[in-house]
Order: sequence, then structure tokens, then C-alpha cells
Amino acid sequence: MASVVNERPSGAAMGGGSPPPVAAVELRGITKRFGDVVACDAVDLAVARGEIHGLLGQNGAGKSTLMKILLGLHNADAGQILVSGRPVVVKDPLVAASMGIAMVHQHFSVIGALRVWENVTLGERGRVDPKRAARHVREIGERYGLAVDPQARIEDLTTGQRQRVEIIKCLRRNPDILVLDEPTSVLTLAESQDLFGVLRRVVQEESRAVVLISHKLDEVLHATDKVTIMRDGAVVARHRTADTDASELAREMVGREVSLRSTAGAALGVVVDDAAAEADAAARAVRSAREVVLAIDDAHAKSSDGRRLLDGLTLDVRRGEILGLAGVEGNGQAALGLLLSSVLPLDRGTVSVSGEVVRTGKPGAMLRAGVGVIPEDRHECGCVLDMTVAENLVLADIDTVSSGVFVNTRLMRERAAELIERFSIKTPSPDTLMRQLSGGNQQRVVIARELSRGPKVLVAAQPTHGLDVGAIEFVAEQLRAAADAGVAVLLISTELEEILALADRVAVINSGRIMGVLDRADVELERLGLMLGGRAA
Amino acid sequence: MSKLVGLFSGAVSGGRGRRVGLYVVLYALAILAALALSALLVVLATDASPWSVFKAMYDGSLRDGAAFGLSLDEATPLLVVALGTILATRCGIINIGQEGQLIIGATFATWVALEFPGGGFPAIAATMLVAALGGALWAGIAAVLRFTRKVDVVISTLLMNFIAAEVVSFAVNRAYLLRETSVGGQLTVPQSDRIPENTRLPRIGHFPDFNVSTGVFLAIVLTAVIAVVVVRTRWGFRLRMLGMNPMAAASAGVSVAAVGATALILSGAFAGVAGGVMLTGTAFRLQPGFSQSVGYDGLLVALIARGSPIACVPVAFFFGVLRAGGGFLASTGVPRYLVNIVQSLLVLAALFPPVFLGLRERRKQLARARAAARMSDASVDTELVPA
Repeated sequence: MASVVNERPSGAAMGGGSPPPVAAVELRGITKRFGDVVACDAVDLAVARGEIHGLLGQNGAGKSTLMKILLGLHNADAGQILVSGRPVVVKDPLVAASMGIAMVHQHFSVIGALRVWENVTLGERGRVDPKRAARHVREIGERYGLAVDPQARIEDLTTGQRQRVEIIKCLRRNPDILVLDEPTSVLTLAESQDLFGVLRRVVQEESRAVVLISHKLDEVLHATDKVTIMRDGAVVARHRTADTDASELAREMVGREVSLRSTAGAALGVVVDDAAAEADAAARAVRSAREVVLAIDDAHAKSSDGRRLLDGLTLDVRRGEILGLAGVEGNGQAALGLLLSSVLPLDRGTVSVSGEVVRTGKPGAMLRAGVGVIPEDRHECGCVLDMTVAENLVLADIDTVSSGVFVNTRLMRERAAELIERFSIKTPSPDTLMRQLSGGNQQRVVIARELSRGPKVLVAAQPTHGLDVGAIEFVAEQLRAAADAGVAVLLISTELEEILALADRVAVINSGRIMGVLDRADVELERLGLMLGGRAA
Repeated sequence: MSKLVGLFSGAVSGGRGRRVGLYVVLYALAILAALALSALLVVLATDASPWSVFKAMYDGSLRDGAAFGLSLDEATPLLVVALGTILATRCGIINIGQEGQLIIGATFATWVALEFPGGGFPAIAATMLVAALGGALWAGIAAVLRFTRKVDVVISTLLMNFIAAEVVSFAVNRAYLLRETSVGGQLTVPQSDRIPENTRLPRIGHFPDFNVSTGVFLAIVLTAVIAVVVVRTRWGFRLRMLGMNPMAAASAGVSVAAVGATALILSGAFAGVAGGVMLTGTAFRLQPGFSQSVGYDGLLVALIARGSPIACVPVAFFFGVLRAGGGFLASTGVPRYLVNIVQSLLVLAALFPPVFLGLRERRKQLARARAAARMSDASVDTELVPA
């Protein structure tokens, strides 16, 4: 692949001066559906040469889908893509690459056991000359300030360095349009600043176009020239970055129309008159007088590869309330779920239930302390797919259906029949394998199991993820009923609507710490947006 | 032979109807192919007729009561090893150190059998118990390494097989340990004394009629125990949970270290008991090479039986037949290497059908997944260069 070299044939010559009139890439009326869900709804986006364009939005806003369409990973249902003013059909990633479009994915695609230069040349055809490849890596590194040793093995590099390798891999192919998907979610502050320096050089000196997908307000404000805000699959606003500020972006990212459909949400919702305000104040007083059941204090934890998962997280959940933990995915929610499932040990800090400190990372400790968890990934943590429904309903309580050392099959089946009835689980029989149930019914099994144990604390992590409408309603009802029965419910969700509809109080997590806690009635979308975007408010 | 095919396929096929039929046909084809290949080798390598070779294998293993008893004696330790292996695999631990655990068990057993005052049931019980202890100890080292230092069990158990062989060799080479006592200045060889008559497992029947060591009953009882423990007990429930989904098990309060280590140690104890059964049932003395690959073959039995203790019984018998028949064949003058090849071909034939069907199923799933990926969400390998 001798043609893949660093000398830019024509693009570099155009660099430096004013951007040419035609956009480097333009998306017109892009629409993409997945089943009933409209991921992108007639989206327009134009990115000029020499510009860093921010694409801001929450999870599920359609940012990534839009970029995947540009990359040929998805095919749009409607709409048009123009590269340098010329209409094109990007049917697969190969076509995208041939048109000079490259993307740095949020989840890296580098191979740990291979060296840097090997990863960079991976996928190229023909003979690879190791020396030449290593030299290229070094040259690109010097030119953009992406220093990395071409001979180093990926597994020995830090996350920031791995990302550099990804970027070098893209730049080596000399793209006109570079897309970065949430590039700083895994980086330290210093690494992020280095990255933005590199991007600035790429657009200013070489007149490339960069799209930066992000949910962080600060980084959009600091690093981009223009910003497009997406919500629910549509563009809601466009700005020159210099003309906007964090509050405006926050408002637009979160949106104004918040669902107040559920009764719980309406009762605690936006204050409409004085009577409601008084009722609300009374309810608030009652709630705040209740004792704290789950208290997490200054929790610190790191992943095995040294990334910070929890960074001084402090959180209280009271009896009989639903505390909604909002946040953009990947900010420590998963770690919190694992912590409360006794899977993740803390480096520092404590977890206590009803005032008793619980040892972290010790199998079953949280469970015995009275913490029930509806895990985020029910297939991985919540159930055993190759066991029967009856067995899954007693996973953690096998001792309660045993006589001596033996499992009492009759008792187990009776328990199962009762729970299947009470939680309306649709299964041919208690002896059906869990694998054969639908997602919604699997989730019912998990909820039935956790609630039947009479927990003091119920942690529900993304409990409606991937479920249909009926199942979503069921989950919401069960959570509300649990809280009304006195359980302290911690609802972890990236769906803001779900949290606003169900929660009595709302906490926001960002980078492993709590940015703030608001009473549901005090929720102002601007403040919420600022906290979601990593600003204390 | 057709009897064998039926027996074997009937035992391991778990499915119904068409699936059973498919298995029977595949086993029949695989074993026929193995026999044909064996026949070819025999013709090429010796001047014996292939027919006489197969007949010798049959004569040595199934033809009369004595041969049948010999097959059972060979199958007994294999079954015990396989049962232990199942305990480990059911919770997701791959123990391949049965060979070492078995000979360490046998070494411990030899010492007790030689030293225990008086004989009879107490002596035999003590011998078996200490054999179990020896195997458990050897597996316990791997368990400690795994659950304190995260050393891979496959590697540690495998390597400890070689250490165990050296330990036995050392023990039977030292007069102050287990080397046989010299009577009247006689030269001795590196092996232990024969264990006293009254410490041996009683035999049922007499040569040349059907005769078998009572060890076979021990193995059958252990099979029933394991079958019940895995499926019916609380501990078995946790064991299965751990094997099928370690994350869910940990979340449900199962201690991966405690249950996993116990299973690994128990699987070692079973291998140790197998060593004890061989010592007190058939071998009666410890020598280097004592185990005759029973540990490895037992592991294979468990693999073919795919985690089912009950299925281990016919599979172990099949291996017992091969070992007994192979032994007889070797005694007719056919070179040992050829006997080994014939045995191995038949084992391969037994392994072939499940592997073949598994691969086919996997390929189907892959094709389905690829088609689905093409339809909607593609994977992230976008980093391809323009052609």
C-alpha cells in the first residue's frame, strides 16, 4: 500500500487561508429508523474545512447514529450526503475511507498484544515494511505532537496513549474529515487538553474538517468553532461557539418538554399553584425526616487498568423515596451498580446500610445487608440463562427453599408459581430455561426475585433498558410500589425522562462524583443540564 | 463391535428423535472409519491380519466373564477420575492435573497400606481416605495458587503432573521412604513393597470365571452421590450457578473462591481415590509409571460425557474395554505403539460426533450473526484502507 503516505497531494495546499465556500461534508435530511424508533429525523449538518464542529447531545440523541451513517456503518433511510459539494453514496466503511472520512471510536479497536506500528498498519493490504511504518508513526507523532513509541506494545500504554494510536491510525490515512466520538470520556484533563491542541493544528494548518461528538459543555465551549445540538434524533439548535454559553447549551441539550405523564411525576412535578406547592413542601418535610438507609461516603475506586471509576462519590438514599441518579453513560453508573452488587471493592470510602458499614467487594455482603440489585446488564449479572425460571427466582435465596443440604424442589416450585402469578411473568412453566423468555419477562423474573427478598434498599440500574412499553410501565409501577412500601430506591438511569417521572429527588453523576442533588420540585432544566455537562451548579 | 456403538451412542446422546438418530449414524461412521484406518495400519506395519487384531481386542475385553471383569476393573478408576473432573468443570474450573493427583493419592495410600497395623476394613478405609487426602492436597496447591495469586489452573495442574511423577520416582528410590525392602541382601528395584493381602479390596468371583474388584461398587456409589450432589443440593446449585454465570453467582452471594477451591480440591480427592482403587484393587504396589495415563483418560471420559455423571458410566466402560482389549492385543505380539494408535483412533472416533455437531452449530450461528449484522448495526472494524 505504497499510496498511503503522508504527503498530502492537494489538500495541504489549500490550507491556511480562508475556508473554501463548499462544505467539506454536508448531510441533508438524514433520517434513520430502527423499528419504531426514529434515531435521526431529517437531520441537516454541514461542516466546513478548517473547522471543529461540536455535536452535542445526551445519550440517544442520535449523534452517534448520524456519524455512523456518514461512516457507512449504517445506511440512511432517507437523505443525502455531499462530500465537497458532490453527492455521494456511502454504502460501507470502505467507501467512506476512500472519500477521506475517518472516525476515532469511543471504544478503541486496537489489539493489546501487538505493537503500535503493527496496529497502525493493521488492515492494510500488500507488503508492510516495518521500518517504514515505524518511521511514519514517529513522523506523524512529531508533526501533531502525538508522541508515542512505535515499538511499544499497546497493552503497556495508558488509555490516553492508546487513543493517540487510534488517532495516528486515522491521520496516516490522510483523511479530509475526522470524526471523534466522545474522545475525552477516557482521558485525564491534561490528556484532553493535549488532544484539543492536536485537533486545532489539524484544522488550522491542514484545513481538515473535524466533528467532535460530546456531551461535555466545557469541552464543546473550549474546543469547537461551531456547535450543533441534537435531541431525540433532531437538531434543536446551531450556534457559532463564540456566540453561546454553557447555560444556553445546557437548556438546549436537556430540552424543555419534560414528561409529566405519570401520577408520581405530576404529584411532585413542576409547581403549578400554591396548594400544590404547600403539599409539596409538606411531602418534602416528611421525606427529609425519614432516616437514611443507604449511605455511600467518599467512595473511590479504580478499574483494573487504572481508570478512575468512582472519585469521591457521596450519596444518601432515604427510606420510602426514589432517588434518581441521572448522568450521561460512562460516568461511573456501572461502577456504582457493581459496588452495590458486592462485585467492586472500594479503595477508599464506605457504604453503610441502616447505619451499619458493609464490607465492599465481599460476595453476598450487600445482599445480606438488605441491598437488592436489578443490574444494568441482566444477562451478565442478573440471571443465569441456562438455569430454569424457578431456579433463577431463588438464585440468592436457595437456603430458604432447602431442607438440610438438599434443595427442596417442591418448595422451590411453589415459590416460583407464587412469584410468576404475582409479577405476571409469562413463561410456559417454572422449569422453562431463562434463555427462552423474552427480555421483558426476564426482567420481571429479576425484579420478582429482588423484591420478594424484602430488601431495605433496591438499586435499579437502567431497569427499562431494551424493554417494550408494557414492560416499562410494569417496572415503573413496581419501583413506585416498593418506595411506597418503605424501600429506599436508587434508580440509576441515563433516561432523564424516566428519572423525572419517577424520582422524588434527582442526583447527577459526572466522572465518578455527584455534581449535585435536587429535590424533584426544584429541578430546573438549565441547572440539570449544567450538572450533566460536568459543571457544578 | 456394533453392540459397543449402540451402547456408547445411546449413553451420550442427550437429544431426542432426529438428534439421537444423527448421533448413532455419526458414531457408527466414525468408529467404522477408525477401525478401517486401524486395519490398514496393521496390514502395513505387521504381517498379522486386521481381523485377528480386532478379534484379540474383543477376546481381551468382552468375550468371556474374565475378560469382562478385566474391562470393569480398568473402567473403575477412570470413572472415579471422571466424576471428580465433572465437579470442577461444572463450576468452570479446568483441572487437567488428575494424573498427578492420582499418583500422589496412590503414594499416600501405599504408605498407609504398608504401615497400618492389622488389615481388613479399617485398613482399606484408612487407605482410601488418605488417598483422597493426597489427591486433595495436590489439587489444593493449585487452588491456593489460583485464588490467592491468580495462577491459571490449567497451567498449574498440568505442570504439577510432572512434579508428581518425580515425587513418586523419588519416593520409590529411597529405602527410608517407599523403596521395597531388601530380603537377605537381594537387589531391589525402584518400586514399593507389595501391600499386604488384607489391605487389598476384596474380589468377587474367581478366574477363569467372571471376577472383578469391589472397587467397581465404590465407583457406582460415588457416581450416584455426585449425580445427586450436583443436581439436588444447595452446594450443587451454587456450583452450577458459578459455572454458568460467575458474575451472577458473585452478585447472588456465592463466593467464587470458596466454592471454586472446594470443587477443585474435591476433584483432586476423587483422582486420589482412583489412585487408591488402582493400588488396592489391581496394582498392589507403587512403581514409576503407576498411573498408566488413567488420569488423562479419566479427563477424556468426563469430556465425552459432557458434564453428566451418569453418562460417565458407559463412557468409562468403553475406555475400560479399549484398555483391556489393548492389553490383550499387546500380549499377542502386536507392537505396543500400534495398540496405542488403534486405541487413540477409537477415542478420536468417540470424540468426533459431538465436536462435529458443535462446530456445525457454531458455523450456523456465525452465519446468522453475520447476516443480522449486515442487516442493521455493523461492527466497528471500519479501519480499512481503500483498495
